[in-house]
Amino acid sequence: MSEILIRTHGLTKRYGDTAVVDNLNLEIKGGEIFGFLGPNGAGKTTTIRMLTGLLEPSEGQAFICGYDIAREAAQAKGMLAYVPDQPKLYGKLTAKEFLRLVSALYRIPKEMAEERAKQLLSMFGLWERADELLEGYSHGMRQKVVLAAALIHQPRVILLDEPTVGLDPASARLLKDVLQEMARQGAAVFLSTHILEIAERMCDRVGILKEGKLIAQGSPDELRQMVGFSGESLEDIFLELTGGHETAELIKSLEGNNE
Amino acid sequence: MKIVIPPPRTQPPPTQSFMQDFKLLLGNQMRLGWNKIKHWPAAAWFGLLGLAIGFLGIFAYLGYVAYGVLKALPLEIGQGFLSLIFMAGIAAQVFFGITAAFVILYMSEDLELFFMSPVPLRVVFAVKSLSIANSNLIPVILFSFLPGIFYGLLFQAGAAYYVFVLLVGSGFWLIGTALAVLINLVVMRIVPPHRSREAVGVIGGLGGILIALLFQIPSMIMASEQQLDISNWLLSQKQLLNVMKYFPWGWGSQALAAGIAKNFFSALGWSLLLLLAGIALFLVAFSLLEKGFRQGWISLNQVTAKKRSKSKDTATTVAFKPKDLQFTAPAGHTKKAPAAAGMWAVAKKDLLYMRRDTREWLGYLTPILLMMFFVGQYLFFKQDQMKASMITVLVMYTVMFSGNMALQSFGREGEADWFLNSVPLAGWPVVWGKLLGAVVPTIILMQALLVGTAVAMKGSASLTLMLAVGAVLLAFGASAIGLFYSINNARYNPESPQQRISAGASLMMYLINLVFMMILALGVVYLIPPEELVIMLKSMPPVPTGEVPLTGLIRFFYIISRPLLWVPVWRIVLGVIVTFGSWALVFFGFMAATVRQSLKGLKIESITSTKKKSRKKLL
Repeated sequence: MSEILIRTHGLTKRYGDTAVVDNLNLEIKGGEIFGFLGPNGAGKTTTIRMLTGLLEPSEGQAFICGYDIAREAAQAKGMLAYVPDQPKLYGKLTAKEFLRLVSALYRIPKEMAEERAKQLLSMFGLWERADELLEGYSHGMRQKVVLAAALIHQPRVILLDEPTVGLDPASARLLKDVLQEMARQGAAVFLSTHILEIAERMCDRVGILKEGKLIAQGSPDELRQMVGFSGESLEDIFLELTGGHETAELIKSLEGNNE
Repeated sequence: MKIVIPPPRTQPPPTQSFMQDFKLLLGNQMRLGWNKIKHWPAAAWFGLLGLAIGFLGIFAYLGYVAYGVLKALPLEIGQGFLSLIFMAGIAAQVFFGITAAFVILYMSEDLELFFMSPVPLRVVFAVKSLSIANSNLIPVILFSFLPGIFYGLLFQAGAAYYVFVLLVGSGFWLIGTALAVLINLVVMRIVPPHRSREAVGVIGGLGGILIALLFQIPSMIMASEQQLDISNWLLSQKQLLNVMKYFPWGWGSQALAAGIAKNFFSALGWSLLLLLAGIALFLVAFSLLEKGFRQGWISLNQVTAKKRSKSKDTATTVAFKPKDLQFTAPAGHTKKAPAAAGMWAVAKKDLLYMRRDTREWLGYLTPILLMMFFVGQYLFFKQDQMKASMITVLVMYTVMFSGNMALQSFGREGEADWFLNSVPLAGWPVVWGKLLGAVVPTIILMQALLVGTAVAMKGSASLTLMLAVGAVLLAFGASAIGLFYSINNARYNPESPQQRISAGASLMMYLINLVFMMILALGVVYLIPPEELVIMLKSMPPVPTGEVPLTGLIRFFYIISRPLLWVPVWRIVLGVIVTFGSWALVFFGFMAATVRQSLKGLKIESITSTKKKSRKKLL
């Protein structure tokens, strides 16, 4: 049986009286791609930021590969990688220099770092421009550099926040293949997305967050059974669970189905 | 395609010592700095050189004055003077340090990356603190190390004295940096991250005012040489200088005075006390900083800050059914809204944008504050030199702000091409709307600058009225010029999607505005001659004849000033012709040209940071 690589126990974040994430309990195993879904403002990004140690929880704990992110931060952070929705990069570094920095932060030997940087940049089609400053890169190219930086230190857990934003179809496909390969090699992939089609095709399990609470989790089939639909898409299940019936109706009418 | 990625690690990376991590992050910081400098444009180097020469000149002058003062004073009073300089140094460090700390800590692009990495936070903040301290290097050299060294040279101190200078200077460096970090903690707590650019704008504005004040100091000292004797003033402030002894800047001056008097134990005691106080304060600031970020007391980015004011109602519900919506206009619908409604919609949108974008307000806050400073200075000193410097600054600002708001009109948010091409408003409605949106705030600013100053200076009624009328005409004319340059010279950088105007076009607009302003001013002066000017003209001697340098220019001004002494009817007729003729020519000419261009589209130059792929296209 696979090891549990991401575990949260009663994870809560409050701002004043408002609980942005409320008593979240999750378990994600190695080899699993977990889709984290929810409407805007549901608390997805806050959850990811607590899992990465960027934000201290108000209550509860988060464990990465068994390490408490608050108490054993260095060990936990050494095992994970985070790909934010808005890539933040040094404009005045080249892609090569940036990957060198990330490798050094994760204590990867120089020669190995150079080899991996070449491998990853070539895979993402950036090797030819690896010596250019990042400020001249487009959004999609920057996103690829962030992905390469996330992969260079062999993370066992990867957290991605809307990773397909700004990627062209070929790059989005490449990302999907990379994540599946990572899962095949035993890593846990935690993917927050709005694109339900991606979640349905890629994820073994999905969790749906609404107003900070995890209202459902399981495989798409399990969710179908939960809401009582049999042949419906994940989009229908999501809208049913998050209360977006009117929105669904509006979308259908715009598609010309509301006759 | 075969995916080749390294297999996931099974063990966390090995730990490194503090120094290894520190060296790594410091190396990265230095590489970034070097890369930035490598890519600076030549103009930035020239600007920096000019600024450095200006500052060096001022400090050399101030140093010369201070040296003279110290030479004439007994050691005890000299010590007090030194403590005043040290105090000013700490103030300068706090100011520069806050700006640097804000940018380095709050607007940095790398904190998130480091927070996620296995590098301990204390290493990250140690490097950041070093960067903040580095930005304080110049103030600490100018206000702590150099005064200490000159003090020693003046009193011919021995070599051991300079060890105390080093200890005292280092103590001040630590105190200044720590105070800057501590105050910045409060600033970061108050200012949400999505308002950080505006906050830097405010700090920058204050910096501008301080620099303007600094540049005024030599002229103020020179102007008031007869009235202000620094030596006498210091001698009369004995009590105040004594109080200084209880503050760190007083400890520093006592250490140096003891060093000169060869009282080494006392000197060592005071300088070590100062250094230890600096270390303690720095450690407090450092630990609060680290704690603040770690515990989320200070927001790391916009996401968390916005969540604080999260609305409870986040559900995506809609209160209507799709069938209730009318998506298309009924057949035969031909009713058209009047063009004035479209024009007002455009103007209202621009005004709303300006009201809501704090950056725009802060940009205009600086000249108003400066104007208040010069007015205050004039009222306080009541000297003609002050009046002249105030008029120079006002003319400079009037030129700078003439047409400036209009210059941003078409490029402000990058929506202008949509306005021009996609809605049935192209032509006069859009251009008039844009003009109105630019003219309203410009008139307010001009009236504040020109009329406000005239009132504060107790100018004559005719001068105030002339400026009030001139401001209205100038606002309309200059805005028309600004709109023309705005529609023809927009620049768009896809990496930061806000349109800008090319620097060359801005300069050209300011030059044309300057000429327009001068002709308009002449016309308005003919119309409503200020009493002050008429009195001055009557008392002026005739222009000398012969080959005197600048005779031609003087003669020109002499000739154009003659109509002011004509009988009112002819003077007013000439005033109407010059004022309204030049104004109508400029206003309608530039407006017509802008409308013509608006029907063709917005001219945009697409640029990237590298500026290698610049190309001009017509949208």
